Amino acid sequence: MLSRLLPLLLVSLVTSPLLAQSPPQSAEPEPSIQGLLDRVEQLEKRIAELEDHERKQATTTPPADSSSQNGAGIKLVEAGASPAPASHSEHMGSATEEREAQIHYPSLQIRGFGDVDFSATDQKGSVSGFDLGQFVLHLASPLSQKVSYFGEVSFTAQPNTYEVNVERTIIRYDYNDYFKMSFGKYHTPIGYWNTAFHHGAWLQTTIARPQMVKFGGTFIPVHFVGLQAEGNIPSGALGLGYNLGIGNGRNSMFSRAGDSGDVNDNRAWVANLFARPTRVYGLEVGGSYYRDKLTPNPGTNFDEWIASAYVVWNKQRPELLAEYANVHHRDLQTSETFNTTSYYVQLAYRLPWQEDKWKPYYRFEYIHRPGVEPVWDITGTASVVDLVGSLVGVRYDITNYAAFKGEYRNFRQGAGKPRVGGAFFQTAFTF
Amino acid sequence: MAAQSHDGDVAIVVHPDTPVNNLTLAEVRKVFLGERQYWNANIPVVLLIRAPVARERNVVLKTIYQMSESQFKQYWIAKIFRAESATAPKVVYSNDMANELASAIPGAIALTDVREVRPGTKVIRVDGRLPGEPGYPLR
Repeated sequence: MLSRLLPLLLVSLVTSPLLAQSPPQSAEPEPSIQGLLDRVEQLEKRIAELEDHERKQATTTPPADSSSQNGAGIKLVEAGASPAPASHSEHMGSATEEREAQIHYPSLQIRGFGDVDFSATDQKGSVSGFDLGQFVLHLASPLSQKVSYFGEVSFTAQPNTYEVNVERTIIRYDYNDYFKMSFGKYHTPIGYWNTAFHHGAWLQTTIARPQMVKFGGTFIPVHFVGLQAEGNIPSGALGLGYNLGIGNGRNSMFSRAGDSGDVNDNRAWVANLFARPTRVYGLEVGGSYYRDKLTPNPGTNFDEWIASAYVVWNKQRPELLAEYANVHHRDLQTSETFNTTSYYVQLAYRLPWQEDKWKPYYRFEYIHRPGVEPVWDITGTASVVDLVGSLVGVRYDITNYAAFKGEYRNFRQGAGKPRVGGAFFQTAFTF
Repeated sequence: MAAQSHDGDVAIVVHPDTPVNNLTLAEVRKVFLGERQYWNANIPVVLLIRAPVARERNVVLKTIYQMSESQFKQYWIAKIFRAESATAPKVVYSNDMANELASAIPGAIALTDVREVRPGTKVIRVDGRLPGEPGYPLR
């Protein structure tokens, strides 16, 4: 290394005195201060003339044509999309504003989410250490005044590679607030969490998702491929809304959706109804029903009904999320039925000190399944197990777009199994 | 504008063709939260919000959203991420700009100091009151 730097050092030592002794590059006389002041005055006059000219032009410019007046997709800075500049010229010429107001379709916006995690538990055989969590790209693009595209792609670190998944891809047509029709791959509108936070760890208060909506889990079908109608319901102060969907439902591998086709001729459907009462700003209550026919193996069929309900108070002081779901399976050969129940309650409170950066939280969660449940045990390994556990932690928002979280979890997974404790840390961000 | 002027009141101005004249504060909140995205099937709501530090923005955050600046930013990132809206509110940098865009873009809605309302926009009543009238909620 030193031998490589030595020639550079020698060259710089030799050339620096030479450069220091170089004569001035120009022999022209320097302009006087009065000359410079005169020049500034001339430039100021010129600017004033140009501003006057632009103002006159603006007043004679006709209003934007009808194609540019329909609102959506205006090319101005978006309030939530990125940090807006703190100050700007108090008056912009209307010609400039109208230029900015031209419509450009498609208008693609890309937002990324990422997280870096550390975990250490006392579970036998577990290894402590860092992992990269998920790297997520979210795409949103209005294609016209009433048609929009949304997409979500995740990159998950695996031992030898990165697993790439299309988590959502949705094309939506808005007729009005009461009827919006879309096609694609969704997060199934069962309960609250699954459609509120998606794969953005930065959006959720805690590090971990509840077990009932865990990615790669099988308790509820996290994804859904098909079509969906959604919108508001004219209901005054009740603030009702709905989602109705029909699609492929679960694949033969229950944690996956039928992206490439359904496993049987029976479509799954889901209906979700929620209320955001205008008189109680911050409150949301809802419930959903999901129906599918499962074919884990050829000739083996089960009916599946999932009923769920939730109540959410999404103000930060406090924040309350509570969700319940029951998964009902019926063996179509024996007519035997099986019910698995799960719920969680999560409480958080944004502390009013240090610019509201601290948010402690607590969550209790519970899953109970029958001892024998052929759907969960179809592969020979239980994909859903009994769970009782809680976690306590704190979130610290480093900036508006990044947070640090630390939490302690204590849970018992599987009947008769010992309790496991662990410490988890995460920095989650959006960009 | 017929209303008596009142220092500090913030007027809600819309494009003159917008088919509303009066909204309750709860309805204004639904519009600014992006829960109501269309005035009717043909006219989408176009939200115009002042850049940070402006008094009109503080009134929007405090009275309508009831959020801090960072909560507001997080709200709109989440809203778009949930595919509930394809675009966030547009930022305007002056009351002049808010007025000019509200008068030029069908469906646009903005907040501006009542003393700086310009012809070409329509001021809407909130809870039946115009800026300057007793009980007007946006100040």
